[in-house]
Amino acid sequence: MTSCCADSTEHLLAAGTITVALAGNPNSGKTTVFNGLTGLKQKVANYPGVTVEKKTGSCKLPNGAVANIVDLPGTYSLISRSPDELVAMEVLRGLRPDTPAPDVVVAVVDASNLQRNLYLISQLIELGRPMVVALNMMDVAASRGLAVSPQRLEAQLGVPVIPVVGHKRKGIPELKAAILRAKIAPLPDFSLPQAMQEELILVGGGLAILGDHEDGKSCGRREYLDRQIALAERLLIGDRADDLKQIWTREPVSSLLEHSAHRLSQLGIDPMQADIEAHYRWIDEVSAATVQSSGSATGAAAQPASHFNRAAAFSEKIDSILIHKFWGLITFALIMGTLFLAIFWLAQPIMDGVQWAINHGGAWAVHWLPEGPLRAMLTDGVIGGVGTVLAFVPQIALLFMFLAILEDSGYLARAAFLMDRLLAKVGLHGKSFIPLLSSFACAIPGIMATRTIENRRDRLATIMIAPFMSCSARLPVYTLLIGVFFAKYGHLTQAGIMLGCYALGIIAAVLTAYFFKRTFLKSVATSFILELPSYKMPQMSQVARQVVLNAGKFVTRAGTTILFFSVVLWALAYYPHLPKDKQAALAASGADDNAIAAAQSGYSIAGQIGHGMEPAIRPLGFDWKMGVGLISAFGAREVFVSTMGITYAVGDTEGGKTNDLQAAMVKDRYPNGRRVWTPLVAISLLVWFVLALQCMSTIAIARRETGGWRWPIFMVLYMNVLAYVASLAVFQLGGLIWHQAV
Amino acid sequence: MHDSNFSEIAKLNTTHKHRTLADLAVGGQSKVVSVHGDTELRRRLLEMGFVNGVEVTVVRRAPLGDPIEFRLRGYNLSLRRDQARHVYVKD
Repeated sequence: MTSCCADSTEHLLAAGTITVALAGNPNSGKTTVFNGLTGLKQKVANYPGVTVEKKTGSCKLPNGAVANIVDLPGTYSLISRSPDELVAMEVLRGLRPDTPAPDVVVAVVDASNLQRNLYLISQLIELGRPMVVALNMMDVAASRGLAVSPQRLEAQLGVPVIPVVGHKRKGIPELKAAILRAKIAPLPDFSLPQAMQEELILVGGGLAILGDHEDGKSCGRREYLDRQIALAERLLIGDRADDLKQIWTREPVSSLLEHSAHRLSQLGIDPMQADIEAHYRWIDEVSAATVQSSGSATGAAAQPASHFNRAAAFSEKIDSILIHKFWGLITFALIMGTLFLAIFWLAQPIMDGVQWAINHGGAWAVHWLPEGPLRAMLTDGVIGGVGTVLAFVPQIALLFMFLAILEDSGYLARAAFLMDRLLAKVGLHGKSFIPLLSSFACAIPGIMATRTIENRRDRLATIMIAPFMSCSARLPVYTLLIGVFFAKYGHLTQAGIMLGCYALGIIAAVLTAYFFKRTFLKSVATSFILELPSYKMPQMSQVARQVVLNAGKFVTRAGTTILFFSVVLWALAYYPHLPKDKQAALAASGADDNAIAAAQSGYSIAGQIGHGMEPAIRPLGFDWKMGVGLISAFGAREVFVSTMGITYAVGDTEGGKTNDLQAAMVKDRYPNGRRVWTPLVAISLLVWFVLALQCMSTIAIARRETGGWRWPIFMVLYMNVLAYVASLAVFQLGGLIWHQAV
Repeated sequence: MHDSNFSEIAKLNTTHKHRTLADLAVGGQSKVVSVHGDTELRRRLLEMGFVNGVEVTVVRRAPLGDPIEFRLRGYNLSLRRDQARHVYVKD
């Protein structure tokens, strides 16, 4: 804890490093300020023990000192219960062993939304740490005709106030300088009811007597008493943070509190409410003195709620269409439909280009390297495996880009607003919408995004069904299967089938959620409070940053996990290798390249496993090669495609040819001559992929977010059994209808 | 869910149902009188600015009637009908 006597950071000038905490409301532009301060020197990790993201970075201050900056999760209050807000409070109070107590707090305030933002400021002031206010979004305020004066705010608060336009990087150097001038704000005179003030003195006195007298010796008696009264206030209004546990659970104190609360409620006073209202009275004063809206003489006691200004009116106009009963939903469907069509259609040429590059890479390796395991590993294991998957990065990048644009522009919050009623019918929450939508790109960030859902059961339900949203890793599989068998029906049919896959996932998710929420995840009606930020032009630099970050994560997965699996799988399929004489014998007896490849596959370890599995999966229409593919897909779904690539190409490297996977698949036949791959088999496999949970990374994340193995294991069992039954049903019933014997 | 301050409720006129945020028409405006509900909900609502005397405007309702978008203190906020019913407003 800071010494109660220092009131500025001058003494820190001597130190080499200081810790700066960045606090602020969600949507206050805190991230852009953080980016502006730290540039590229950022790191994202996790707070140990909780699933809250920890963002840290560093920057150099004008005097040469280094500031370690912690970007706290956006919060509305320091007393509330969501995991994000809890962590923010703990860091600010220095309660987390993994993060040093901040020497300076930089509070980011949205100038266009001053009143609500000031609530957090009022709590930060009560914390008593040296503070600087970054008055952000000055441009938005100006465009709304709000003249927010940093000087007057500084006079009101007693701490440096620096105007900033985060996304334009304006004001950052001044902010850095101001950190050195950070001051502890004088505690405002929050006007509490008389009776409550008396109770505070009573409880505060009690705490002082029972408290640690060492504290009292380092400061004056007055100061010490003030601090005990402040502590009493925290206890009386219901703050139950961990640092208070030792205090309010002890006997003399808990009785004191109980009696105080009782006396106050007899008078009709609720301490929590009185406290919040006192804060807002102060906020009204400060805001009136600081903000002048155009068109009013002094700006005193202006009620922002009662007049519309230009930019707000513009937002309203857009909203009147986008959230309209009829037009809103239409627009929503159009936007989502365009998203998916664009991904499927735009990415194709790029994918073709990458495929060409892969083929040439393989040919090059064959040309330049001597025959043998190394060449085989490069062409089939490495280039074949990873390359095929990298070909899908364009699609994924596009998906991430659209999501980032929707979020940055403010539309996603509207979507949650629109969808809430529907989601609530299934027992979910409007806030589930964004995690579920993100899961269409990848369930991992989607599941991580569920931490904004306060109710644990709603959160669990959302995590359970997130993997049903067909993620980008399934795209390669969908594209392969749909492309092989339905290409002749044209683009529209293919897109239709793909949409069908997505729809199947959504339907499964809805039914699952409904069923779960009715039975073991039942909970009381949940609250829904959602802020609708005003619309803004998405910052393309932010969007680009997001896309690069997320696509990069996918690529690193491709680079590491998939490369690892591709090589392992290649090895499983290559060893033991068919001896040369056996190959020659096969060739001599008229077997073509594919048959030799198949023989090699069957001979290898992978093949043995697949053969062993086959009886279990034949009823679904799958053969042992697909079985091998399914197992390998557990590491990452995309690996299924590369496994198919390897299983069908192994043996051909000897002959110097790189097979086209699709052609190979179509030609494949069972020993009795029947085709292995038929449209029905493809559909059965598609159904499997839609429904099965086949991603180790998802399971790992689910474990982290739910805090144990119970739920992830349940998820695996539930989804895979569902997939098995569904594929079985599809294949058998389909067979009956189309007379394709099993 | 309704473990709110009994003394508060006793103070109100219980012979008629009190007007709540959920009763306001779109475009309607009123002042907050009191906030009810369980402690966590009350705290959230109060902290977001629904304190006594604040002016709230109904901006719109979602296509299916729920949630409702309000405007107060210069920003927009959505609440479900269920929560809006816990905020009593001036007749």
